[in-house]
Amino acid sequence: MSAEPEARRRLADGFGRLIVLVYIVFAVSAGARAGYQVATKFSHAPLSFTLSAVAAAIYLVAAVAIIRGAARTALAAVGVELVGVVAVGALSFADPDWFPEPSVWSHFGSGYGYVPLVLPVAGLLYLLKRRREG
Amino acid sequence: MIDWLYLAAQAAALAMSAWFFVDTARSQRVGRRHFAGVGVLEVFVLAQLVAGIAIVPGEPGGGAGLFFSYLVTALLVPVAACFWGSIDRSRWGIGTVAASGLIVAALLLRVHQIWEFQIHVG
Repeated sequence: MSAEPEARRRLADGFGRLIVLVYIVFAVSAGARAGYQVATKFSHAPLSFTLSAVAAAIYLVAAVAIIRGAARTALAAVGVELVGVVAVGALSFADPDWFPEPSVWSHFGSGYGYVPLVLPVAGLLYLLKRRREG
Repeated sequence: MIDWLYLAAQAAALAMSAWFFVDTARSQRVGRRHFAGVGVLEVFVLAQLVAGIAIVPGEPGGGAGLFFSYLVTALLVPVAACFWGSIDRSRWGIGTVAASGLIVAALLLRVHQIWEFQIHVG
């Protein structure tokens, strides 16, 4: 349909914009919160806080990769994120003792309105759709 | 926090988000009326911040740092979304700004929790 001779659509255009905004917000909020928790009460729940920091780092990688158009890096980051939230979510139900304090990914991100679970699925669908379009 | 002011800000955030998502479905470009809508939300969040600066120092709890960092983030997110969304040609330009309204609502919810459990205690 759109035969306009305009510049090729970048990964961060269209729906990618919304995804990048949410990734940046999550990178900042999870990162800041994890940093605060590690600084004040790390021994309380070392696994939870470490995982939150890891999640924040992956969110940041995904956001930067989408902005810079690095499709494969973005796909890898979002894939790791999906595996992480499913694995940590399942583990937190199987063995709650490991998670005395919630992390971003424990209980499938219930403390964050399940956005941590929805986000990688939406991101993966978007990235795969864009890859098919070439 | 002043309850009616908090509820008004929440209503403003959710109403702006709903309105902008409707415009997303209608494939509207980010325009002047959208900036006005974001401006109204910003006034409400700014009012929270001013009220917080006036009230929080007199409260017994010690969560002021968290309280203000969440509030300032809530103030900045819609502005960033406006810049980031207005340079997009597709419907998701305004969709991005619409999502920022939900983010503000979530952040305000956290601010209110911090107020209830860490600042306005005893």
